[in-house]
Amino acid sequence: MRSLRAITGATVRQVLGLRRAIIFGLAALAPALVFLLTAQALVDEAALDRFLGMVVGLYFPLLVPIVALIISASALGDERRDGTLSFLVLRPIPRSVISGSKFLGAVLVASGLNALGGAAIGVAYGVETGSWDVVVPLVVGGIVASIVYASLFVPLGFFTDRAVLIGLAFVFIFENGVVSALSGLSSLSPWRVGMSAFSGLVPDSVAAKLTDIGIANLSGLGSTLSTTVIITALSIAATTLVLRRRDLA
Amino acid sequence: MTSNPALVESPTIEIDDVSKWFGQKVAVSNVTCSFGPGVTGLLGPNGAGKTTMLRMLTGLIRPSQGAIRVLGVWPRTSPSVYANVGLVPEEAAVYPTMTAREYVRYAATLSGVSDTGAAANRAIDTVDLDDAADRKLAGFSKGMRQRAKVAAALVGDPQILLLDEPLNGTDPVQRLHLIDLFRRLGDEGRTLVVSSHILDEIERMSDRVIAIVDGRLAAAGDVTAIRSAMSDIPYRVRIETDRSRVLAAKLLEESLVHGVSVDDGTLHVETDDLAALGGRVPAVAHEVDARITMFQPEDASLESVFRYLVRKR
Repeated sequence: MRSLRAITGATVRQVLGLRRAIIFGLAALAPALVFLLTAQALVDEAALDRFLGMVVGLYFPLLVPIVALIISASALGDERRDGTLSFLVLRPIPRSVISGSKFLGAVLVASGLNALGGAAIGVAYGVETGSWDVVVPLVVGGIVASIVYASLFVPLGFFTDRAVLIGLAFVFIFENGVVSALSGLSSLSPWRVGMSAFSGLVPDSVAAKLTDIGIANLSGLGSTLSTTVIITALSIAATTLVLRRRDLA
Repeated sequence: MTSNPALVESPTIEIDDVSKWFGQKVAVSNVTCSFGPGVTGLLGPNGAGKTTMLRMLTGLIRPSQGAIRVLGVWPRTSPSVYANVGLVPEEAAVYPTMTAREYVRYAATLSGVSDTGAAANRAIDTVDLDDAADRKLAGFSKGMRQRAKVAAALVGDPQILLLDEPLNGTDPVQRLHLIDLFRRLGDEGRTLVVSSHILDEIERMSDRVIAIVDGRLAAAGDVTAIRSAMSDIPYRVRIETDRSRVLAAKLLEESLVHGVSVDDGTLHVETDDLAALGGRVPAVAHEVDARITMFQPEDASLESVFRYLVRKR
């Protein structure tokens, strides 16, 4: 347990330097600021449209993936690139503790930043409309999407220096291109998994509006959470296996 | 007493017919040797396979063929053995945002040390890094980073310490300090394997040498034996003078000189007796009125010495 805490803490420091904290912190607040600047004087319905435009057009498909994949790819990738992986693996601790704590560190940072971004948009909407019941769904959706991205990009960061580039191609070409055209593939899109959690928690009026703007056929909250748990378990198991089997230098 | 100089009587590390290849490239080829308490130098030119060998000993990479046992087990499948093994890798291997104290303490925590603070302070003191211990590693010189890595390897009080070119980047004072430390740790009964491509370094810290060239075991035994195996190859000395051709011709008349070549005004002289040549050159230079500005053994020819050892096997 001491090792898990120590590696997780070190990972948080490693993936979130001061510069990243400032840049990602400002980026996380950007959608909320844009909403505040553009939603003034809008009536309820129009404000909801503008809010969902921010959530569906900016927060989930852009902000959440970019933050999550950059942070996640660094968690193990930086260890390999900086030659510090040997420092970790040549210790009397199970490899599952290493992979679990690297994952946990990445998730804490990515989720924290994305939860901040989600909360900021939700609060901005609340300030404009007096309706605060979207804050928690946004935070939960951001966290769920961050966890799924971390499941993919923590192991990928170990394999290649180009994990971020591959991640960006995945987000912009596959998720925001292919999956947008073929809605049957939406369960393969992490930000859509996060949005499923969001849509499963929002009030009916907001959920109906989501359906109106074409965000339909999303799986329910229970299914989303169980998918997330399964993907996470598989990712940690796969990373552990790789750390056990592969040459590490 | 074992008759094979590559093997020791009470081994803590055993390497049995180990090879490692990366695709078509053979990095280590059919090496059998063992290491026991004390300091053993792993000697070889750059690219000889020393780092690959050390990485295999730690289990970081698997041998393509053969078996390795550290304290009786293959570390990859028995990670608990890492409580007794410390590695100082050649590459960076430090976290730049941590201070040296945090780094060593982190190593202590992961090694299962109970009082991490006290252990870290002891290890930092051992490598004489107290003054810089609370500075970030990002600002450390290479030599200071080396010492921080040694402290992190020592903090768990390991029985086996594997050090890959640990003196790289250290200044002469730090070098002496580390050599003394390694000797002391060896005298305490720990197994230290220290890799280096510099014979002089190995000679100063270890009594036993395993020499590796082109991935093969080139020589093994005590330092004196290795030295004597090298005694029948001539030394090369570089001499710079204002009258190179005249001095070259005169030196060729000396029986202790086997050959002289002139390269862009610099003499390269071959001899069996370095000390005698050192004594004779000033007199010969005086005879031909030449002024010597440099007299330097070309120890860079160490690689050719290693190759010679391989051919000799």
